[in-house]
Amino acid sequence: MGLKIPCPNCGPRDHTEFWFGGELRPIEAPDAREDFRRVYLRDNAPGPQRERWYHLYGCRRWLTISRDTTTNRIGD
Amino acid sequence: MSGRLPARPGEAIDRGRPLTIDFEGRRAPAFEGDTVGSALAAAGVTITGRSFKYHRPRGLMCMTGACPNCLMQIDGIPNVRSCTEPVREGMRVERQNAWPSVDRDVHGVLDSFSFMMPPGFYYKVFQRPRWAWSKVEPIIRKQAGLGKVPRTEDHEPREVVNLHADVAVIGGGLAGLAAAAEAAAAGASTVLLEQRREAGGRALGSADDVDRARLVAEAEASGARILLGTAAFGVFDGPVVAAVGGGGLQRIRARHLVFATGAVEQPAVFPNNDLPGVMLSSAVELLVNRFRVLPGRRAVVLTSNQDGYRAARTLRDAGADVFVVDLRAGAGSADGLRVIPGSTILSAKGRRGVTAVSVGAPGSATGQSIPCDLVVLAGFSAPSTNLLAMTGAKLGFDDDAQAFLPVELPPDVHAVGAVAGARTVQGAIAQGRLAGLEAAAAVGQEPPGAAGRMEVLRAQAAERGDPVVLPPEVATGEGKQFACLCMDVTSKELKAAAAEGFDSMELLKRYTTVSMGPCQGKACMLSAQRLCARAAGSSFAETRPTTARPPWTPVELGALAGWRRTPRKETTIHDLHADSGATFMWAGDWRRPHHFATPEQEVEAVRHRVGVIDVSTLGKFRVKGPEAVELLERLYPNRFGDLAVGRVRYGAMLNDEGVILDDGAVCRVGDDEFFVTVTTGNTAALERWITWWLADWRLDVRVLNVTGAFAALNLAGPDSRKVMSVLTDADVSSEAVKYMSASSFEVAGVPSLVLRIGFVGELGYEIHFPSMYGEHVWRAVMEAGRPFGIVPFGLEAQRVLRLEKQHILVGQDTDAESDPFEVGLGWMVKADKPDFLGRRALEDLAEAGPKERLVGFTCDPSWLPPEGASVVHEGVWVGRVTSARRSAAARSVVGLAWVPAGWAEDDTEIEIQFGGAHAKAKVALKPFYDPEGARLRS
Ligand code: FES
Ligand SMILES: [Zn+2]
Repeated sequence: MGLKIPCPNCGPRDHTEFWFGGELRPIEAPDAREDFRRVYLRDNAPGPQRERWYHLYGCRRWLTISRDTTTNRIGD
Repeated sequence: MSGRLPARPGEAIDRGRPLTIDFEGRRAPAFEGDTVGSALAAAGVTITGRSFKYHRPRGLMCMTGACPNCLMQIDGIPNVRSCTEPVREGMRVERQNAWPSVDRDVHGVLDSFSFMMPPGFYYKVFQRPRWAWSKVEPIIRKQAGLGKVPRTEDHEPREVVNLHADVAVIGGGLAGLAAAAEAAAAGASTVLLEQRREAGGRALGSADDVDRARLVAEAEASGARILLGTAAFGVFDGPVVAAVGGGGLQRIRARHLVFATGAVEQPAVFPNNDLPGVMLSSAVELLVNRFRVLPGRRAVVLTSNQDGYRAARTLRDAGADVFVVDLRAGAGSADGLRVIPGSTILSAKGRRGVTAVSVGAPGSATGQSIPCDLVVLAGFSAPSTNLLAMTGAKLGFDDDAQAFLPVELPPDVHAVGAVAGARTVQGAIAQGRLAGLEAAAAVGQEPPGAAGRMEVLRAQAAERGDPVVLPPEVATGEGKQFACLCMDVTSKELKAAAAEGFDSMELLKRYTTVSMGPCQGKACMLSAQRLCARAAGSSFAETRPTTARPPWTPVELGALAGWRRTPRKETTIHDLHADSGATFMWAGDWRRPHHFATPEQEVEAVRHRVGVIDVSTLGKFRVKGPEAVELLERLYPNRFGDLAVGRVRYGAMLNDEGVILDDGAVCRVGDDEFFVTVTTGNTAALERWITWWLADWRLDVRVLNVTGAFAALNLAGPDSRKVMSVLTDADVSSEAVKYMSASSFEVAGVPSLVLRIGFVGELGYEIHFPSMYGEHVWRAVMEAGRPFGIVPFGLEAQRVLRLEKQHILVGQDTDAESDPFEVGLGWMVKADKPDFLGRRALEDLAEAGPKERLVGFTCDPSWLPPEGASVVHEGVWVGRVTSARRSAAARSVVGLAWVPAGWAEDDTEIEIQFGGAHAKAKVALKPFYDPEGARLRS
């Protein structure tokens, strides 16, 4: 409820201004098997996660952050 | 026993301002300053409600809003805690959960049939036979339950307020007041949240008001912002404290949080411990000292510490006859009170209220019977650690306190007062002051001389009171022993559940619903945990409290919802549509004309003369840069490198799974510039989609959403070229402006991009121009078209027209599994070009071949199959209709439907069915109208 996302364009903003884009995943895969993993599977692991957020009610840009999924702490 | 005690200083009521409330049709007197609960108590109402499951009578118990006993329907709003709700002139108050009335509730007989409702009975009883459940469920639902949901509109929308501070103090008891006063005086911006309408917490009920009055004055003078009637109900990441009060939702962000949430007094467990007249000492003190109501004339006080003696003196001084039952063997008579040491209450008796208790040594089978009309349970409490636990604070069992206390706090979180284990007033105040100073210092506001004061305060804060003695368990005897009043869970049921293997708090909670009621464990956590421990053969210290989750206090959904806002978009031509009498409909967030005249007339005009539709809502992107082609080649399965400047190509975007996301026109307007249109409702999602990929691909190209910047009209029909030639000096002959071309010229004097494409299947022009000229261009088009009989048309006509051409609508005719091969768009997949989105999936799909196909069909116009109607074969479901309309041109119903791939052949007979209706239909793979597209190209 109180997560603040640091937008490089707009500064730290309430997460309600953003659209969650999910964990960062590879954009391509060497073979069909890996591509299946890329498209359908997520790690969803506790701990720091690289993920994308879209600043919907701000600059309308995607940004990538590292967020600890257990504490919501954002850092690198 | 009704009426008021003589006036005393510090009372909450203003005897100079009497008023009346409506209590179940009767007039009940009250004073300004009363709560509904206190006014009813003064009027002699002792039964405030009926219990959830057994419909047992219940009365005021805590007077602090922490138990379920006094929930009433007030001015139509259910489940209002009447004991804390201030009275207002003429308010309508009704008790709930009883029929025909709370005083004589016929369901009270359920109490005698409780053997039919073992723990977990929701899961066990009535499950077999299956049909029985559907009969029994509505009856159970009617009996169990809390209040009636109002049928009328919700009241005023609520504000959401965001507050920022250096220090937020949660809880305005003495410790919280002290913390806020220190922090604010030191210069830190400070907010204090107190759920009641008055600060002071537990001290509010005390006969001597000195500490409280002094601290309230100090906090007010310090500059702290004190929010009364504002109840914190959750702590979320950030951290953000969420509270309700002040007419809405408050979200408080502070650098330091001081939790001064106090403790909640807990009942003791013995047979019939739920009878009206069994009260906590908080209720007795508030009723007598604040509201001047004497709740009983003959009282028995069960206690093991000073709280009980204070309550006993309060009652005695108000004229009641008092016995003190002290759990401690060594207790002697104090202050002239009659004390029975080393004893406990073995049981209570009574039907509509307590009439006697049996008192004896713990464990004994029988005791001495003492007639009484009031039983006071004093000094057993559970620290209110829930909000604190939501910050991630760790709790541990404290032997002296017989409670779980915070043992490890996250940074910048403080706990003071009873929630931190303070058992003396001076200790609690010292803890508060210390935390206030520490928090202020941490935000750079350390007052001079703070170090010395903090030293002294630390010593005082460490002060502890006597160890706590909790009442022992009473052997099962006559009468139910309630552990959880909200959900009517007895100690016997908890034991039975534990014996069935549900032997931890978390399991017991889910199975028996203990602590899941309106009080959310406030009034039962202590009993539930202790009984669970014993039933499981472990100790209180070994049990784990259940996970704390918001909301800690009841919250109206309206407060969470805030203002109801429905975004609504209108095109720049909207007002003209309204003036000409258009009927509007929702299309995503947009309001669009559904029709102007009748859809049939509009279709006829477009097919035979000319029509115009406002398509400004189309999503529009400008794609520009040296790598614009590269971007489009990756986004679409189509090829765009060979698209000449000034040409348009139809394309569909796919996702990684090869599923169609959207379709639209891609126009090359320059060597490195494209104009792309997408479906109205998909615009925002596609902007995200495209920029998501761009973030990784990092191509040298800009994508700009220009949806709002451009208005657009589709001028269509055999006479549309004639209308165009009136509107522009440019050459609009079929050689100059070819089918599938994009040309720039002025229309009605406005620079426009004109696309010769035709969604509706006629010669047509999609004219895009700066949206500020919307009304001007629309008027000019209508004017130029008048000699040709032009009509404006709406979405319904457009749907018929496009269906006659079998043009699909993504999202209407396709779903989250539709690939291009299935919908007949396989031609656009250029497998020989380099990688594009969905390519890998398409390779697999192409190999497997489509299992289903989207096909056109026609059927007799006597019945119009609705969208979603089934396609059946020999009574078996094999597909579904996605669109269907009556078509004058085809003289039948035309539509699109999903069918097994093998049936995708002209004239295959299919059967359509919906509800009782059905029709024979025929597959038609070619458009129903102008199958070769001659009119489109003309
Ligand atoms: S008496 Fe009102 S909530 Fe307990
Ligand atoms: Zn931004």
